[in-house]
Order: sequence, then structure tokens, then C-alpha cells
Amino acid sequence: MRRLRTTVVVGAVIALAAVGCSPSKSGPSGTDPTSKIGAAETAMDPDAKGPAPEVAGAKKGGTLTVYSQSTPNTFDPTDVYYVDSNEIGKLMWRTPTQIALRNGKAVLVPDMMDLGTKSADGLTWTFKTKGTFKYEDGSEVKIEDFAYAIKRSFAHDLFSNGPTYQLTYFKDGDKYKGPWASGDAYSGVETQGTDTLIIHLAKQFNDLPWYMTFPMFTPIPKAKDTKDNYKNKWISTGPYMLDSYTPGTQLKLKKNPNWDAGTDAVRHQYVDGWDFKWGVDDVANQKQVLASAGADAASLNYANIDASLIPDIEGGKKNQLVQGDSPCNIVFQMDTRKIPLEVRKAIAKAYPYDQIWQAAGLNPYIAEPSTTILPPSVAGYKKYQPIADLTGEGKGDPEGAKKLLEAAGKLGFEVSWYYDNTKPIPQQTTQIRKEALEKAGFTVKPVGVTTAELRSKLSDYDAPVNTGQSPAGWCSDWPTGGSWFPVLFQSHSISDGSSWGMLSDKQLDSEIDSVANLPGDESTKKWAELDEKIMGMYIAIPRYYDKLAFVVGTSVGGAEGDGTMGMPFFCNMYVK
Amino acid sequence: MEPVITGTETLTEPPQVGVTSGPAKPGPSVSRSPTRIALERLRKDKVAMTCLGIFVFFVLVAIFAPLLAKLEGQDPTSYNFDLIDKRTTFPYSGASSDHWFGVEPRLGRDLFARWVYGARPSLLVAGIVTVVTTILGVVLGLIAGFFSGWIDRVLSWVIDFILSLPYLIFAIATPAVIISVIYGGSEGTSPEQVARVRFISLILVLSFFGWAGLARLIRGQVLSLREREFIAAARVLGVPTRRVLFRELLPNLIAPIVVSASLALPGYIVAEAGLTFLGVGLMDPTPSWGVTIASAQNYYDTYPLWLWVPVLGITILVLALSLLGDAVRDAFDPKTRR
Repeated sequence: MRRLRTTVVVGAVIALAAVGCSPSKSGPSGTDPTSKIGAAETAMDPDAKGPAPEVAGAKKGGTLTVYSQSTPNTFDPTDVYYVDSNEIGKLMWRTPTQIALRNGKAVLVPDMMDLGTKSADGLTWTFKTKGTFKYEDGSEVKIEDFAYAIKRSFAHDLFSNGPTYQLTYFKDGDKYKGPWASGDAYSGVETQGTDTLIIHLAKQFNDLPWYMTFPMFTPIPKAKDTKDNYKNKWISTGPYMLDSYTPGTQLKLKKNPNWDAGTDAVRHQYVDGWDFKWGVDDVANQKQVLASAGADAASLNYANIDASLIPDIEGGKKNQLVQGDSPCNIVFQMDTRKIPLEVRKAIAKAYPYDQIWQAAGLNPYIAEPSTTILPPSVAGYKKYQPIADLTGEGKGDPEGAKKLLEAAGKLGFEVSWYYDNTKPIPQQTTQIRKEALEKAGFTVKPVGVTTAELRSKLSDYDAPVNTGQSPAGWCSDWPTGGSWFPVLFQSHSISDGSSWGMLSDKQLDSEIDSVANLPGDESTKKWAELDEKIMGMYIAIPRYYDKLAFVVGTSVGGAEGDGTMGMPFFCNMYVK
Repeated sequence: MEPVITGTETLTEPPQVGVTSGPAKPGPSVSRSPTRIALERLRKDKVAMTCLGIFVFFVLVAIFAPLLAKLEGQDPTSYNFDLIDKRTTFPYSGASSDHWFGVEPRLGRDLFARWVYGARPSLLVAGIVTVVTTILGVVLGLIAGFFSGWIDRVLSWVIDFILSLPYLIFAIATPAVIISVIYGGSEGTSPEQVARVRFISLILVLSFFGWAGLARLIRGQVLSLREREFIAAARVLGVPTRRVLFRELLPNLIAPIVVSASLALPGYIVAEAGLTFLGVGLMDPTPSWGVTIASAQNYYDTYPLWLWVPVLGITILVLALSLLGDAVRDAFDPKTRR
């Protein structure tokens, strides 16, 4: 999953500076900065029905203003992958399945369709619609529109930002290039009657019902598809519809009269309208939201709270801070191809976790020291006894590390990484890491590059460095291990450019495959075991789990975090 | 007013453009140069002297920064993570006997040491740039004004051209260009190297854009002076051109030069801090007021010490220099009566 516009995938150093976002709420008194995030379980509720349960104390009416400095890149549902537009999209686009928040936990529920039925070989999925639905203009949603939306997502040249699982998992996903290039005939998706959608896969994909919560699965009527222009004027099925949109600056939503609350298990229509405003200065804006003067009382800012505002929060504004989980885990990875295991252990022993945590400006509101691969918001997360020295905390032990190095006969081993030499925080953390490792007997060679070059350097796995390559963290696309292990630790991860530790082990590949093919509940436990096993290979230094901490105005009700996105969950909000 | 030429030996003395307009003084009338008169006036100006004192104070702070930091027992670049609350990123305490201005949130660097060291780049950049622009501006202005003809046309064109260039864009682009020229690309350059390049490029850019205004001013003055009789006389006597320029013309230009330089100095201090604040000037780890202000800007109410001490430093220094510049102008301007 992509976080706002500074993706974790881009690099740890960037993640340091732009602390991300996170979801599920940690209880009503969720402002204790030390509150830990609870472990999620894979939860599905195939019988969930509309209307969604009322939020206690909710009122109708009013307009909510939502601010952020970073700007969503697109609102074409097929092209949406960043978490901000994805979360906002939940107000406008109903999808085959959807994620509901129950007591802060993500639960997969039917939205327009059921949770699907898998064939015996696991390669054919059948979804049936749960009733009839209308678009914002009153016209009926047809089953062919779902199929068309899926076909549309294969035009990856047009929608290059969108998610790509369908290209790998769906039948002929590598050959079909979308309705414009390849025509309407696509063997991977078919419809039966007026209520059945059938998806054919090339290989097993047990998380398909989770994937179908993405906006790219929202029905799009072919006759009204404007291709390039759809991102400026789209059609809604959810409780709100487009009122006005100025890309990069403002989005106004109004009520959709053709949305039927009785069929929707997730969404509400409490407020009359939404006013999203982008490009504000986050810190100044957060102060404004906290002050809640006049219209600002019904506003919120979805960027994580700036450290300079912590005294304000602790000085009596705790009830204006909403905390939650995020789907992200941030690490500093080590290339297993270039660094032997003993040396990786020594690096872990010498690693100055606390100093880097402090220099990066992290605090318990926005981060929690990490010891595992899966973050707590993902099903399968298990807080096992941390592997030696992979604790996410502590000041590092240079003497102990030196002994390890000497024992391995690798004193003076060269460690190198890229960092942004034009920004203070990456520069300072690099300095701290360098000093700590030098004390432990390493030769350290950090390579400074400019912001513009950093991204391509970090993603070049053949570059002459052996630590700190991207992705310097990962965020779940949906809260199961299936969006982590097969992506990060199989041999193909290296050529995909999304590897932690550059593992390439046939046996591990097949182990991951076999867990991925298990049914949901069984795989959950196995992912936890695999988590501990891979962590024990010292593929990365775990740094922190992202947390969500955003500020709301005094009259915003029903605010909670969506742990699957690291964003505020808008569908339950109301104006007090 | 005509210069008083009493003999050839006075050619080695600064010719007098103005005659004292001050009150009649008792005692024998002593012939004094306008510069001396101006300095005497300046000495009697309490505001000017106070401001000069403040300026000298800051210069001393900058010069003795290592000593002052040593006196406190700290240095500007070490991190003190023990003093920082891991929970909030703020320091546990404010100013103390160990850390006179407290420590920086997040890193725990000593703020007093950073403040005294931070005075250095401001004064150094502003000082160097003022000297360079003054020399360049005066020399080129003199040449353009005195020779007229094609030299003047070329130089005037260059001056106009430079004045029309957008200096901010150059300030942003120059460091990158220098880095790629010296180091063959930014890859592998350390923060210290980048910081040094930024420092040099700041001086280059400000100098490049600063001299043109003064040159134009000097050229105008020279144009009117060169038709005067004492210049004509000097040329008739066969005085070499260089001597005419620097011995005859230059002393008559002391007033505009001094005034321009004293007003430019605070301007460059502000320019340095401003560019640094915008992220195109100096950068961490170089201690600089602009760097500190840029990182402290969001903390104006929650950790005021961090932001306000360097802001006060710049404000007081610039205010003092500006008032001093005004006083200098008043002192050199014969039209000012007081």
C-alpha cells in the first residue's frame, strides 16, 4: 500500500522525516502515548447487512472540513493506490467487499457483493450481488459494470499508479491490456445473469476478497467512462457524490440521493457535505484545528501530529487527538547477499536504536519500536520474544559487537548505505549510525546523494552499498500476511524491487507459497511462525511500527483511525 | 563648492569637496577633511556609538565563539540524548548552569554554543560580501564613469544586465553547479562538504549581485566629478590616469561608499539568514542563526528559547547596523543639520 505521497517504499530516510499515518483506534482514551496497538485477527463477517450500526450520539447535518498538506494524486478509482484517496474514496465508491471497523478492528464484510465462493482448485471465484444498487444519477448498477471496471484496471499504461495484483494473479493478466488496447473480450472475468461475477485466476489468491475492497473494483458504466477525464468527473455509488473538484486544491462532496443506507453495512450519511482542502501547512493547520475557533471546530487534519504540538496535547487537548494503528513497519535492511550472517548479527548488536529514534524525532504518539516483520494491525502478528539484538530499542553494544566481529574474523568489514545529504534528519541519523558502527570496529561508508537521486539509488539492488536499500518499510495492502511475505521474501522480490534482505532461497519460496495457499485462519498462525523464522535470519534492523495520531476539532464526533490505511475513518464521522 | 588647491603637494591629500558647515568653532581654523568632520560628528552621536558597541560585541562573540563555548563547557555539534525526553522529543529542562540557553529538542545540542558559533557565518558572509561588492562596485564604477565611451557602454550594460537577473534562482542553482563541478556530482559528498559549498556559493551569489548597484551609483558621481576643474588640472599636469582615479576622484567618493557599505552590511546579514531559512543557504551541521530559526519555527510557543534567541540576535544586530548606517549617512551628508 502506498502512504500519502511519500511512500515508505521510497526509503527509510524519507520515512524518518515524514512520519506516516495509521489506523485502528486504541480505545476511547486513546491518547496515552504509550498505548500499544492491539493485535488484529483476520476477521470476516460474511453475514453483515445494512444499515450499518448507528454510531452512539451521532447527529445529522453540518459540513466537515478536512485538511492536509499532501495532495491526493488522482481520483480515478482504477488509479487509486495511495491511502489518502483510497480512504476518501470510501465515501463515494461502493466496492464488492468492504472493510468495516468494529471496536477498532478491521472486519471484511460484504458491500455490493458477498465475500465470494472459491472453486475446489482455488482458481475460480464466484461473487453474487447483495441486492440492487443505483448510481448517483439514478441509473441501475449492472453486473457488467463490475466486469468492465476489472477489465479497465488492466490498462496499466493509462492507470500506472493503480494496484497491480490482478496483473499477476488473474488469468491472462500478463496478456490482456485493457478494453482500449485489447478489446472487451477478456477470459479472466465473466458475468452470469444479472447478479453473478466470476473471476478466473492464473494462480491461487486467497486474499482476493480483501483485494476487492480497493476502489478499482467499484462498478464503472462503460457508456459513461471518459477514460482520461474520469479522474476529474467520476460516478458515485456511495453516500456522497462529487460536488466540485479542483485537482490539488479542493474537493467538495455532497449527499448522494440515490444511496440506500439499508443496503450498506459500513457507511453512514451523517454530515451534509465534505470539504477537503489540500496544500495547507500541516503544522500551522494542526494548531488551527486544535484551537477550533469558529468553523475550525468541525475540521480535522489527517497528517500525523507534529512533535512541536505535543505540549499542547498534553496540556489539556487530549480529547482532540485521535490515535490508532497503521499498516506500516519501518526497517533498515541489510543485503544478505553481501553481508554474512555473523556480521549482520554484529550490526544488530551495535545498532544505536534509541539515538536514531530520538534524532529522527520519533515519539510514542506516532511510532512504536518494532521487533517483528508484521505490524500489529496485520492478522498473524505475534509479539514473540524479540530475536537477540533485534529489539527496536536500546543504545547498542559496540564492545559486544566488536567481539562478534573479531570472532567472525571480519574486523573492519565495510558497511555502506545511501542517504540524503541535503536534509538534516537523514544526515544526522547517518552520522549517529556511522559513529556507532565505527566504534564496533566496522569500516563505514555512507554515500550522500541529493533528494532527486536518492529514490533511484535506493531501488538499485546492484548499487555498491550493502545496507539501507528500499523498501525501507512496508505497508499492508490488506491486513493479512499475504500482502507481506510473498511480496518481500521470495526470490522474485529482488527483480520486483521489493525485497527485504534480498533473500533468494527456493525452499523459503515454496514454504511461503504453501502458507499463502492455506485458508485464511490456518495461514494466520503460520505467518507468525514464518515471521519469527525470517527475522532470525537478520534480514533487517526493525525500527518502528507507524502509528496514527491526528487532530480533530472540538465538534467532530465519531472520529477513529482506520488501521488498514493509517487514515481517519470518515464513514462514521458526524458534527456534534 | 570648489576644491581648494593650494599646491601640488595637496594632490596627495584628499581634496575637499565640501566646506565645513558646522558651527563656527573657537580657536584657529584648522583645515579638516570632510571625512574627519563626519567622523567627529559620528563620535558625538550617542545612538551611533551605542550601535557600534553592539556591533563590536557581536563581532567579539563571533571571534571568541570557541572560547565562550569552552567557558560553558559545551560544543555546538555534540548530541546529548540523555537530556531529551524520549516520549515527547522535548528537553527535560530549559536553561541551566550547564546549558545556558538550554538544549535543542530532538538532538540535545547545546543552544548557547550554537548561538555563539551561529554569529560567525552571518558576520563572515555579510562582511566578506560587503568588502567584495564595495571594492568591485567602486572600481568598476570609477572606470565606467571616468572613461565613458565604449568602456562605459559595456560596463553599464553589464550592470543593468546583472540588476535584471533573478538572484534567488541563482542562489538556488549555484550550490548544485559548484558541487557537480568540484566533486563531479553530488554522490558521495558529505554534509560538511555540501555545507562548505553552500557557504562559498552564498558569498559568490551575493557578491555577484551586490556590486552592480554601488557601481551605478559611483559611476553617476564620477560623471559629474570628472568635469570639475581639479580633475582637468590634474590631467593637464600629466598625472597618470590611475593616480587621477584613486587619488583625485576616490577621496571625493568616500561619503557614498561608506554610506553604501554601512547600509549593505545589515542587508547581507538578513539575506544570509533569509536564504538559509528558505533552505538554499547554509545547512546543518553548520551552526547558523538561519539554520536554527528554520528548524525552530514551529516551536515559537512550545519551546520559545530555541527560536527567539537567534531571532533576537539577528534583530538586534541588524537594527544596530541599520541605525549605525543611518548615522553614518547623516554624518557624511553636509546637508544634514543637527
